[in-house]
Amino acid sequence: MNGQVLQLLISVGGIAAMVAICWALFGRASIKLSDADAAAALARDVPGFRAARTALSRDARTALVENARDGAVYLALVRGDGVVTRKLSRGVGLARNGDRLELRLKDFTLRKAELDLADAADWETKLQGLAA
Amino acid sequence: MKPFDPVTLAVPAFIVLVIAEMLFVRFTGRGRFEVRDTTTSLLMGFGSTIIGAIFAFVFVGFARLIQPYALAHIGWSWEAVVICFILDDMRYYWWHRASHRVRWLWADHVNHHSSQHYNLSTALRQPWFGVLALPGLLFLAPLVLIGFPLEMIAFVHGINLVYQFWIHTESIDRFPRWVEAVMNTPSHHRVHHATNARYLDANYAGVFIVWDRMFGSFVEESKDDAPRYGIVGNIASFNPLKVATHGWVALAKDLVSAKSPKEFALYLLGPPGWSPDGSRDTSDTIKARWAEFRAAQSLAE
Repeated sequence: MNGQVLQLLISVGGIAAMVAICWALFGRASIKLSDADAAAALARDVPGFRAARTALSRDARTALVENARDGAVYLALVRGDGVVTRKLSRGVGLARNGDRLELRLKDFTLRKAELDLADAADWETKLQGLAA
Repeated sequence: MKPFDPVTLAVPAFIVLVIAEMLFVRFTGRGRFEVRDTTTSLLMGFGSTIIGAIFAFVFVGFARLIQPYALAHIGWSWEAVVICFILDDMRYYWWHRASHRVRWLWADHVNHHSSQHYNLSTALRQPWFGVLALPGLLFLAPLVLIGFPLEMIAFVHGINLVYQFWIHTESIDRFPRWVEAVMNTPSHHRVHHATNARYLDANYAGVFIVWDRMFGSFVEESKDDAPRYGIVGNIASFNPLKVATHGWVALAKDLVSAKSPKEFALYLLGPPGWSPDGSRDTSDTIKARWAEFRAAQSLAE
């Protein structure tokens, strides 16, 4: 057998084995956010961040958090067993249907985020203010 | 001596060590794995090997183009290999430093830093489109122009890459002081992969940490500030294609939006995060803000 083909087969077999063992040992993470988690993630990502107001989606996977220092609004969402954050600024697309608020971002790896919030209308108004 | 590809030979060891680390982490809790993150890292490594082989001719072609201008023609000997290895490691340091400070190079290198985890699979999360990071070729030139054979340069660089595999782990704490003083270790490289403000743009070394100590980029890992891994503005996807291209897509968008040749040049050659209106963060602005915040905190205390 050609050496390069053998090398390829070893790599493919190795990847399959490593993924299977990782799955068996650690499973698929499904963490939930709390208000405190979202604020903590932002405090890590943004020096001096202090949470003022937080809105946690009912699925506990996405949150909007306002920075007490400058009024900026941030998005925090669960990805795997980590949290990804984004500052929301002008240009974010908004669509609301009752309690469901959809954000459309100009972000290659995060095009859309959905939140199910009791005060979705308030946050929509706030975010429209940012976009203006 | 005859050259061989150290990376190819090391692949079975990589597989065994990743599995061993998973078991170690599972039973000791020293480290973190997540299956989608690990799968992405492994697929990035696989894709990098395939695409790298396809485009290897660009690097070889460039080296052959400048080879006739070499100052000497150095033959194979142990002494030459050792000197070539040390010089290649210094070359790696400067290439790596530039890859964090020049957006064009960062567009490619960012892939390696895009995991929020730090384990042996992260070492395999390698970029796919290095061929687009053309200024990277310039870092190859000095060794070729000194006169080292291309096969020797490839060989020592392979050894360098194999060395760097095992330092991507949280499972090893620290080595004795003399080792930490000279060699790149898991502790030093955790700092390099961290996004904590104090750790940004530090520890670019491949094998010998002495380059960072010499050129002022060394930062010690602090017990009081555990590294948090990833990039400033972590990516929100496990899709390998998106991971491999996100830096390039972002750069292309900025270049298209440039309103002058100066803006175009600064988007391309300025630091990651540079923007005409200063609305985005570079590592320098993050560190400055962090220093201000720390100063204000200590005044308040």
